[in-house]
Amino acid sequence: MREVYGLLHHGSGFGFINSFADSFKTPSHCAARTLLSLIIIIIRHGNSKTLAKMGKTLLFRASILLFLLPFLCNSFSPENPTDRRILVLLDDLAIRSSHSIFFNSLKSRGFDLDFKLAEDPKLSLKRYGQYLYDGLILFSPSIKRFGGSLDLASVLEFVDSGHDLIIGADSSASDLIRDIATECGVDFDEASGILYDAAAVVIDHTSYAVSEAEGDHTLIASDDFIQSDVILGEKKIAAPVLFRGIGHSLNAANSLVLKVLSASPSAYSANLKTKLSSPPSLTGSAISLVSVVQARNNARVLLSGSLDLFSNRLFRSAVQKAGTSIKYEKSGNEQFVTELSKWIFHERGHLKAVNVKHHKAGETAEPAMYRINDDLEYSVEIYEWSGTSWKPYVADDVQVQFYMMSPYVLKTLSNDQKGQYYTSFRVPDVYGVFQFKVEYQRLGYTSLSLSKQIPVRPFRHNEYERFITAAYPYYGASFSSMAGFFVFTIIYLYNK
Amino acid sequence: MEREKEKKGRKGERGWEGDVAGEERERKRDRERERESRLISFKVFSKNPRNQPPPKIKGMARSLWFLAFLLSLSVFTCKAAVFQPISDRHRSAALDLFVPVDGSFGSLEETYEALRTFQILGIDKVADINPATCPLVVETLASQSSKAKDIFHALRVNSILRCSIDTGAFEGAGSKLQSVLKDASSLLDFYYSIGSLVLIKDQSSESNVFLEDADGIFHSIKSLSQSDGRWRYSSNGAESSTYAAGIALEALSGVVSLASSGVDQSMIGIVKNDIMKLFDSLEGYDDGALFFDEKLVDASEHQGPLSTTSSVVRGVTAFAAVTSGRLNIPGDKILGMAYFFLGIGVPGNTKDLFNQIESLACLENNKISIPLILSLPATVLSLTSKDQLKVKVNTVLGLDAPPLTVELVQAFKSGSKDTHAFQGQELKFDPESSIHSLDLLSQSIDVGKYTLAFEVLLHDPEHKNIYTSGGRTLANIFVTGVVTIDGAEISVLDSDVGSVETKKKLDLSGESTVSLSANHLQKLRITFDLATPLGYAFVPHQVFLKLRHESKVEHIFVSGNSGKQFEIILDFLGLVEKFYYLSGIYDIQLTVGDAVMENSFLQDLGHVELDLPERPEKATRPPSPPVDPYSRFGPKQEISHIFRAPEKLPPKELSLCFLALTLLPFVGFLIGLIYLRVNLKNFPTSALPAAFAILFQAGIAAVLLLYVLFWLKLDLFTTLKTLGFLGTFLLFVGHRTLSYLASISAKVKSA
Repeated sequence: MREVYGLLHHGSGFGFINSFADSFKTPSHCAARTLLSLIIIIIRHGNSKTLAKMGKTLLFRASILLFLLPFLCNSFSPENPTDRRILVLLDDLAIRSSHSIFFNSLKSRGFDLDFKLAEDPKLSLKRYGQYLYDGLILFSPSIKRFGGSLDLASVLEFVDSGHDLIIGADSSASDLIRDIATECGVDFDEASGILYDAAAVVIDHTSYAVSEAEGDHTLIASDDFIQSDVILGEKKIAAPVLFRGIGHSLNAANSLVLKVLSASPSAYSANLKTKLSSPPSLTGSAISLVSVVQARNNARVLLSGSLDLFSNRLFRSAVQKAGTSIKYEKSGNEQFVTELSKWIFHERGHLKAVNVKHHKAGETAEPAMYRINDDLEYSVEIYEWSGTSWKPYVADDVQVQFYMMSPYVLKTLSNDQKGQYYTSFRVPDVYGVFQFKVEYQRLGYTSLSLSKQIPVRPFRHNEYERFITAAYPYYGASFSSMAGFFVFTIIYLYNK
Repeated sequence: MEREKEKKGRKGERGWEGDVAGEERERKRDRERERESRLISFKVFSKNPRNQPPPKIKGMARSLWFLAFLLSLSVFTCKAAVFQPISDRHRSAALDLFVPVDGSFGSLEETYEALRTFQILGIDKVADINPATCPLVVETLASQSSKAKDIFHALRVNSILRCSIDTGAFEGAGSKLQSVLKDASSLLDFYYSIGSLVLIKDQSSESNVFLEDADGIFHSIKSLSQSDGRWRYSSNGAESSTYAAGIALEALSGVVSLASSGVDQSMIGIVKNDIMKLFDSLEGYDDGALFFDEKLVDASEHQGPLSTTSSVVRGVTAFAAVTSGRLNIPGDKILGMAYFFLGIGVPGNTKDLFNQIESLACLENNKISIPLILSLPATVLSLTSKDQLKVKVNTVLGLDAPPLTVELVQAFKSGSKDTHAFQGQELKFDPESSIHSLDLLSQSIDVGKYTLAFEVLLHDPEHKNIYTSGGRTLANIFVTGVVTIDGAEISVLDSDVGSVETKKKLDLSGESTVSLSANHLQKLRITFDLATPLGYAFVPHQVFLKLRHESKVEHIFVSGNSGKQFEIILDFLGLVEKFYYLSGIYDIQLTVGDAVMENSFLQDLGHVELDLPERPEKATRPPSPPVDPYSRFGPKQEISHIFRAPEKLPPKELSLCFLALTLLPFVGFLIGLIYLRVNLKNFPTSALPAAFAILFQAGIAAVLLLYVLFWLKLDLFTTLKTLGFLGTFLLFVGHRTLSYLASISAKVKSA
């Protein structure tokens, strides 16, 4: 695919080689990449004889590499949906150290993290039409303008092309970060800062984390999680999650965004330093602390109003929620963030459907057309990506529709616990062009949308029922009159 | 009485001070605002009215002292958040981060970082590392090909591990380094070779390492320095950097300690001047932390603020240690850098942790001034559990400070002009726990957020030159307590007269549910009193009244207060539109909360049934209730197709019965024929016509049989085709038969 793309795109030999060099994006192939870029330089500028000679030998070696290329590439693909290369944008490189547990857990799960300052003038997400990264982590809340070619539009385009995004904001969140969030269906509390020197933060006077060092109740201990094993893992998060930052609300018109961690009913979002004269815009459990978006193209976005949520300090911190006597040795942050990042980077909850089959009952071949009232059998195999391999997906709520303008038949599929889903039903007595449709949308899973068109015809003239008993009097009448006619002709002609 | 007088006097002081210092303060405040000062407490001073009675002379002197103090204070330490010294968290982090693989940490440089961090933190790991690392050290020292840098790291590791190395290896390395030093031109060459020589001198008792041309080397290093106190890595065109300055200072201090005959003191004086210039480029955070940052951003060996500051600290402290006389760096700057390193918290990677710990260790024993860190173990103090105000003073590594007294100089309550509160108190020292404490309850302190200003007074006057505590340290504390709630009432008023329709007492501490009803001409009033433990009025940050309609439309109201009493009046006439004309039951919920209120609560009060007028056409519709996300995803209800019912047919018997009936006329016909005595006498007798007649009748029978076959199995096309053939045949034989029969009947008629 890439080779072809390179040729089309550049229409020249250089472009072809460039696109190859481009496909070595993983650092593990750094040597190969350097080699190739060297060749490119030589081909481009190499007029002198020595260079050309050098180039020849290198080219020979490179050509061997080119054949190996398809085996070396292990980036994002439908067959292997987990992200591999992640760009981390920071507004201070110290975050790399203060949030190292989170980053190390990503590294240990096989991700290649590329740390850059958000104002790095060389930033770019794609080169020659190819994305350099599969995921983006924006831990640069205060950045007003990205460096390089990166801007709001290119971040959105990145997500629109199916890549994943994590945004960590805090009370210094800039308009740029707020705009990206707004485009994702999340509005960070705007009751901030021109008038005051600090933005509104989430305050909760009844479910804060008890601490001897912090008394302003902005460090919130929340345990109001979304009820979804696929997003937060099967193991229940026992300890509350510590959160310090700004709240956001979900856009009511956006059905793709989900509240993962919500504030308690007594929370509110306000500026600590000012007296409240009018009700704050965000109060109670309408405040979302952490939200996720799963776009229609299965791109996943995590939006957190707190960058500290990911920090080593809160990962390691002990937590006791106000009003309770249980003191947890460690906050739930590490588990929460790790599990959530597994979901965001498609290590969980990514489904694929293969082997969609249908045929008449008792047959095995797929017909080109069904007749009304035929009995048919439908089957599909569904697998879930576990991060390393495809495992059979087991659920009892997968449904198939036999659909023409509206569903005529909607049936729940039974499964054999090995990923195979099947059912059988009779084709309705309405003819037309139907579709087998599987629209599987479950909380946290990527949506499956399968459709297969199949025409349904009425009975042929000779397929109707013959010799109906009720018609025997008519048959009798006509045949007796025929017999009468025969006898009559004989009598009429030969009687004397 | 006595106390009140004093208070008044002090107020006067501040008023007077406001007159004199107006301009100076304005300028200062501008500067402060630029740096986003967080110091609220100073606003108190500027807000005082000017027409206060003139102060006494003694007061004037004191206020001048105060002013001078404030001026010096505002530059540096006034914003000190409370930094905690190195603690066990660092120890466990160090053990987590530096994990040896097969008894080794990888390269010698990493090994040194790990060992040095462990050494400073007091973790003994030497025995585990020794067996795997010592051979590597010996090999590096003995090898001919190892560079100055490798030897340097090997010697540094050896300084902790104390491997058994023979004197020959030291001497070999020493002479090699001396030769490197002779033709060294870049700063790093100097740094590594001099550093190694110093280490050899320390480690080998027998070897006698010294520099013959110390002044020359000193000069060549100094020649790389810049006018602003920074250094270049080499003489040919390299950019100057602060990180390099640290390295250079460390190298220079090595030269001084290795010099066989002292180094020119005037040169040392110049370097001291350079250091002063270097310190002019210190940058700062709001909280008083100071650090060096590298100006050049895209250099390949770019260093972050942490490693840059750490390099400078190492260099400066090493230089101060070997030179005589004091380096004239203000203690505040040293303290600011200590704050910077402590403010990082627990770093998450090995390099940062090493830089932090090692720099703090350098500061801990430096000759300039040793920072003392004043920290509060707890900043949230509860009146209910009678917490004491505790203050700890430690060195940066968490060791005990020399004998000293902590004095609470000032205390301001934020958000109020009242600066009442304890002042000039000396904290009690408990030698066992080394904690300075103050009993808050005896000070009749109320709940609130306070800014405390502490001052550290060293007992030994000698210590004042050795230690620095930064003068005054500010800390914010929260004093929490239980707020009493009284006289909670909810009532429905008639709008025009204001007379009370229904009135109910509320119990805000426990369960209470009221059910009220009101129409749009009435008002709802909720009142309650809040008072602090000392009986003063208390205004919490959060007082929300929430009305929630059955359809989940919510309305939030903020309460106003007059003194202790809080009152929320909802005039439904004005709120009809806001309520979207939705009549029905509204749940009432009251939330009262504040950071210093221990009994913050969120309580359902009951409900009120509102009778509002009909919604006019043009009024805005209520927002649609939020969709439950879980409901969007469930499986749909199954649909099965309802097939068209087959037509109703009569029973089989009836059809057969009617079949018999339809056959009856045929039978009647046959009987009639017999009754009429029909005959076949007209049938041709001669052979040919008889054959045609038989063929004609057979043809008719065949056509009829074809019809039967058509009914049974044949399709229309076969039938028509066959019928065509049969028809032609019938036409022919029919014509012959009929014409024969016609000729016979003609004969009969004519006869």
